[in-house]
Amino acid sequence: MSQAADAHDAPTSTGIDHKKLIMWLFLASDCMFFGTLISTHLLYRKLYPTGFTDAEGHQHFIQNLFNIELTSFSTFILLMSSFLMALAVSAMHKGEIKSFRRNVLGVIFFGLIFLGCQVFEFTHFYHQGLTIQNSVLGSTFYVLTGTHGTHVAIGVLWLVLLYFYSFTGKLGGHMGALDVEVAGLYWHFVDIVWIIIFTAVYLVEYLGPSGIWGSGLPVITK
Amino acid sequence: MSHDTHHAPVASKLDLAPERSDLGLIRPDRTTGWRDWLTTVDHKKIGVLYGAFAMMYFLIGGVEALAIRTQLIRPDNDFVTARMYNQLFTMHGTTMIFLGVMPLSAAFFNFLVPLQIGARDVAFPRLNAFSLWTFVFGAFVLNASWLFEFGHLAGWFNSFDWHKALVYTDFAPANGWFSYAPLSGTFGQADASLQAPRFTGVGTDFWIIGIQVLGIASLAASFNFICTIINMRAKGMTMMRLPVFTWMTLVTSFLIILAFPAITVALIELMFDRQFGANFFNPSAGGQPVLWQHLFWIFGHPEVYILVLPAMGIVSEILPTFSGKALFGYPIIVFSGAVIGFLGFAVWSHHMFTTGLGPVPTAAFALLTMAIAVPTGVKIFNWIGTLWGGRIRFTPPMVLALGFIWMFMCGGFSGVMHSSAPADSQQQDSYFVIAHFHYVLLGGVLLGLMAGLYFWFPKIFGRMPNAPLAYIASGLVILGFNMAFGPMHYLGLAGMPRRTHTYHAGNGWETWNYVSTIGAYILGAGVFLAFMNLVWTAFKGKKCASDPWGGRTMEWSLPSPVPEYNFAQSPIIASRDAYFEDKHGGRRIGYENDGGNAGVHMPSQSWMPLLAGAGFLFIGLGMPMMSMHVPHAGWLVITGLTVLFVGIWLWALEGPGGYMLKTPVAPSSSGQPAPAATTSAH
Repeated sequence: MSQAADAHDAPTSTGIDHKKLIMWLFLASDCMFFGTLISTHLLYRKLYPTGFTDAEGHQHFIQNLFNIELTSFSTFILLMSSFLMALAVSAMHKGEIKSFRRNVLGVIFFGLIFLGCQVFEFTHFYHQGLTIQNSVLGSTFYVLTGTHGTHVAIGVLWLVLLYFYSFTGKLGGHMGALDVEVAGLYWHFVDIVWIIIFTAVYLVEYLGPSGIWGSGLPVITK
Repeated sequence: MSHDTHHAPVASKLDLAPERSDLGLIRPDRTTGWRDWLTTVDHKKIGVLYGAFAMMYFLIGGVEALAIRTQLIRPDNDFVTARMYNQLFTMHGTTMIFLGVMPLSAAFFNFLVPLQIGARDVAFPRLNAFSLWTFVFGAFVLNASWLFEFGHLAGWFNSFDWHKALVYTDFAPANGWFSYAPLSGTFGQADASLQAPRFTGVGTDFWIIGIQVLGIASLAASFNFICTIINMRAKGMTMMRLPVFTWMTLVTSFLIILAFPAITVALIELMFDRQFGANFFNPSAGGQPVLWQHLFWIFGHPEVYILVLPAMGIVSEILPTFSGKALFGYPIIVFSGAVIGFLGFAVWSHHMFTTGLGPVPTAAFALLTMAIAVPTGVKIFNWIGTLWGGRIRFTPPMVLALGFIWMFMCGGFSGVMHSSAPADSQQQDSYFVIAHFHYVLLGGVLLGLMAGLYFWFPKIFGRMPNAPLAYIASGLVILGFNMAFGPMHYLGLAGMPRRTHTYHAGNGWETWNYVSTIGAYILGAGVFLAFMNLVWTAFKGKKCASDPWGGRTMEWSLPSPVPEYNFAQSPIIASRDAYFEDKHGGRRIGYENDGGNAGVHMPSQSWMPLLAGAGFLFIGLGMPMMSMHVPHAGWLVITGLTVLFVGIWLWALEGPGGYMLKTPVAPSSSGQPAPAATTSAH
């Protein structure tokens, strides 16, 4: 696409490309989105420190459910995918389309590993008795991490489409690099959100003997 | 891959040779008539469409309001059933806020912002069209609930199994515009179909998905406007030279992108409760209904400012024009608008004083709420300062703008009364609250928006509204409004509760309810007359010059109706109110050496935003039908998601396109303007 192919390409007042600016604005909005979801989870976690009760009436603590090694691994994979995404963006800026394709395939692969881990985790938790219906914890946990997973899946889909689009020869020059960079911004953001979710949902459960959530709060059991 | 080199600049888009998009489909650039309106990416046409839909929904919401008032005209009335009454007040509130005021504001944003900042379009023209169509389909989904309700009342569904199985049959939303949990949510345990028992029927599901879709439309539009205002200002149009309306658009758009995610999440959670048996707000499983209130009002209070700030921006344009003076205290007005935006996020719990938050949060939210009166008061004083010593012309927009100041102040006074938690505890859920927010939203916002309509209609259509009719309509609106809502202050303090479909005789409420209903009829007649005058103006009004009011901002420098490229040559701005100063001596506007025979780049029209938006129609109808257990309704949702995805995908692949349009050259006006002397000119 030529530089003048679009009215968007006229020099902007700030010097920032429209596409990049609108992505930053979207991410600002998405911050509030995840902020609300994470707040919901933390509020309920504080209120109900006991986790959930399964169909047989057994109380479960969430720490016993988590497989922190697996989640740490998938977190690491997602972090590394961000690294590859940065390489892909950099390659695109230099016009190295082959390097871009290699790196973006890596991102897609790592993103799929992360999603696979999440599917495994959801299945595992479900078999352990945590469902969206049987507790507030189940509702907040699945909806929060599921929403994040949806973001990752959309990112993977976007990158797959970009990867195939790169073979049409239309992904090039300044606009092509911009398109990849905007996808990169999204990917990095989704990654950062996961770091926060990993900390707020998983890691804090391991602080102190029974987590930072302490006792002395009203515990509602069914 | 350059598109613009395919064609030489043309004088009209009808002269274009057919051009294929990157997909190989012919771009709908040369269309006229309804195809042109469906595929347009022109911010002015999109603005007109927003305005037309908003006015239609204003009238629908108004009919709902009149039905409510008719029911309340005398004690123990049975004009509508209690069940219908619940649906009427819910849909009245939802319609007026999301389908009336917000899109009418969006109509002004669309039409005015690019013109006021000296741009040729918004940053993302196709995204703008997507916002419009998403709004249109979302609004339709919300109102489709009425079609189901009428079908139910007419007995059309009686033979269907899914209808026989329904426990609750309120098809239109019936929870109030805030849909408080647990009434809107679930109770008990989810069954095998993953659905827990509910308190209300599928109306709530229509409400959830309708608001969700409308939220997407508002978010997409707001990203676009912030981008446009920050990035597409003409040379010399610094932030502190922006017209106040554009500033308020910017603040409003930031409020939307930061406040709407809270309702988006709340709606997702409520949807999971209702559709999949989650427990976010299910009290029997430990869900906290008060969380819904928090999430709703974290969105809901900024929403109030989302509604009112555009009207404040409009009034800030009209008052200086008809006072013959520059706006008094421009920087302070801008700053106050931004402060209102910030504080708007810190006062949500004043809607929840009676939930028992505890003394510290209650005191904090009461104080912050009182604090928000300060920037609002600052604005009022600045408007009065603008009027002070001016040569005031009582044109129809000015009459309405003055009405705005006065009525909005009344609403503000009762608002400060609510900020005191003990007083609020007495007023909560009474007609006093109804009186308060109608003074803010009707006396304030509606009068402001009507003022804007009368002010800019000559620019939009190049035709002048009928002035005597406009005065009569304005008088009827202001008189009827005060007659309808003034007595509600008394009724509320005398104990009349909100959202109750009737009342018994003997409480001392009869007289004022009667007066209020008569006032509502007068108000309805006034609004109808005002809108009919505008519709008539659009088609048959007397043609007028391009600057009939003696305007101050850049849109008045353009011919009426505004040509599709807006500015034949991009302007260079040397001061605030550049157009006004330029008209009266000082050289404040120059023009860049663009346009002319070289042409102006125009974005290509597209079917894809409409297609993508249509996906929401299927999703929006499918989700509530799933709740009704209509067989195969899930496929409707899947179809919708597919249409949405395909629409966006083709949109990405078709390429932006574009063509060059010749513009008339005005050689005398090109070149750099003289710099403004100092800011003392203001």
